[in-house]
Amino acid sequence: MYLTAEFPDAETAAAAITALRGRGLHPAAMDLFSTTPIELAPGVLDRPSRMSLAAVAGAVALCLLTVGFVYFTQHHYPLVTGGMPLFSFWATGVVFFEMTMLGAIATTFLMFLWESGLLRRRAIGPVPTVEPGSIWLRVDCQTPQVAEAGECLYHAGATKVERLK
Amino acid sequence: MATTLPATACDQVRDDIWRPMRGASPAYVAAVAATALLVAWGLFCWGYQIGHGIGVAGIRRPTMWAFYIVNFVFWIGISHAGTLISAILRLTDAGWRKPVTRVAEAITVFALMIGALFPLIHLGRVWLFYWLIPYPNQRLLWPNFRSPLVWDLTAIFTYLTGSIIYLYLPLIPDLAQLAAHTDGWRRSLYRALSLGWTGSDRQWHALERAMKLMAGIILAVAVSVHTVVSWDFAMALAPMWHSTIFGPYFVTGAIFSGIAALLVVMAVIRKMMRLEAYLEPRHFDNLAKLLLLMCLLWLYFTIAENLTVWYGNAAAEMSVFAARTRGRYAVLFWTMVALNFAVPFVLLGIRRLRTIASATISGLSVLVGMWLERYLIVVPTLSMPHLPAAWGSYSPTWVEVSITVATFAAMALLYLIFSKLFPIIAIWEYRHVSDG
Repeated sequence: MYLTAEFPDAETAAAAITALRGRGLHPAAMDLFSTTPIELAPGVLDRPSRMSLAAVAGAVALCLLTVGFVYFTQHHYPLVTGGMPLFSFWATGVVFFEMTMLGAIATTFLMFLWESGLLRRRAIGPVPTVEPGSIWLRVDCQTPQVAEAGECLYHAGATKVERLK
Repeated sequence: MATTLPATACDQVRDDIWRPMRGASPAYVAAVAATALLVAWGLFCWGYQIGHGIGVAGIRRPTMWAFYIVNFVFWIGISHAGTLISAILRLTDAGWRKPVTRVAEAITVFALMIGALFPLIHLGRVWLFYWLIPYPNQRLLWPNFRSPLVWDLTAIFTYLTGSIIYLYLPLIPDLAQLAAHTDGWRRSLYRALSLGWTGSDRQWHALERAMKLMAGIILAVAVSVHTVVSWDFAMALAPMWHSTIFGPYFVTGAIFSGIAALLVVMAVIRKMMRLEAYLEPRHFDNLAKLLLLMCLLWLYFTIAENLTVWYGNAAAEMSVFAARTRGRYAVLFWTMVALNFAVPFVLLGIRRLRTIASATISGLSVLVGMWLERYLIVVPTLSMPHLPAAWGSYSPTWVEVSITVATFAAMALLYLIFSKLFPIIAIWEYRHVSDG
């Protein structure tokens, strides 16, 4: 069961989230919808992210792959070089750098798709129609909690509360 | 602390920015037809060159790099508009950037696409381009990873990929809004491109994080790309090319020409799309100040580069230096100095003269001046190698001139199409007004 509530501003939406959390609802069960980003105080509705870490990991991974590839090509020419690599490893620094950055770019984009839930096939639940300037809070709660949560939303300053399945 | 515009103002912003996307005025149709015609002519010329061989261009020994490489360096430089302006201002959270960023980011993508074409055009036998891709050929030989051409390939590929993503990410919320308010093929296009954006706080968080990260990454890549382009020259032991300051000199020139291009495009868009309320005089004023700063930096690097050559007095370098400053290239050289320094310094340095019109004139002046600078870097050095017996001359043919003109038309055409399909100002960013 979903409850959706419209709020006139970010402050009342934040107050509703804090009140719902105080009644045991987990932040993962709440989603705030708006046409512009809403800045809430830290701790109200934090969304932990591993995007930076993943970008670094992607950069390192593609860098290592490139280093391995260049090393491989240095030693796999069908020319007799007396066991020596055919060209200087260090002169390929530009290629390493660009591939490292490409790894970071690709991983950042993939992590954006993953963390934002875009392209994910699982059901995302009902989405309220958000007009410019309005803020909607959607709460995923058990049937026994609905009445209490609805009251809490009104109390915090919601102008409209709807039940959705 | 950031605030959001009230609902009525939001609707007004949306209407104003979406208005140019509806219908097509006779002026718009004429502009598309004219630029498409020029692009078609350019493609015909390229086809003519492929059919008849690279000999139809004016490239002759010893000047084996000329117009096409000049254009390559010029367009890669222009591409720095988007990244540098958008990324730096995003990272420093400068509020005034908001109507400017998408205009700049689109310039980056289009300029890169055009710039990346020139090595292909210059190759002559364009169908052999795939030899640059790292895989072993028929004789099991790998490409030479030490070659600046392979560096260019990797650098431009990375920069283009990053720039497209950097342009696309902040477009997604606007595309979702467009999908909800349009019908027909536009609705299908916007729905597909918005990837199911709902505007949830998870998505906003992910977008803002991704944009911050991308801004940092793309900044490093942008600097590296033009440094790599400069190394195409600096790694050669040719007179006036083998210079340690070529990297920063090229990056400075690229930012300089990028800001100039941004000013010109903004002035055209402001007038054509009637966006006077969004692209305000203060945006032009701030960019004009940046252009003035880059103008002084450019002068500093130009003096540093030429003074050390003159003081060193090496015979081969002095021949090129003399040809540039008082010989057959002198007119071009001093015109370049006037366009790149005198015009913007006077028009933008005197506060009373700093208007939208003067900023646009300065931008145009710098664009011509920077093209001349690229020409003066490429052609004189190759025309006058170390051995005087090998000296030659270069003059462009109609094929090279046509292809060059066509690329400017291609830039305009791409921009015209883009502005008809996508909002040229990020609506959600504009609504999210910063108090700072």
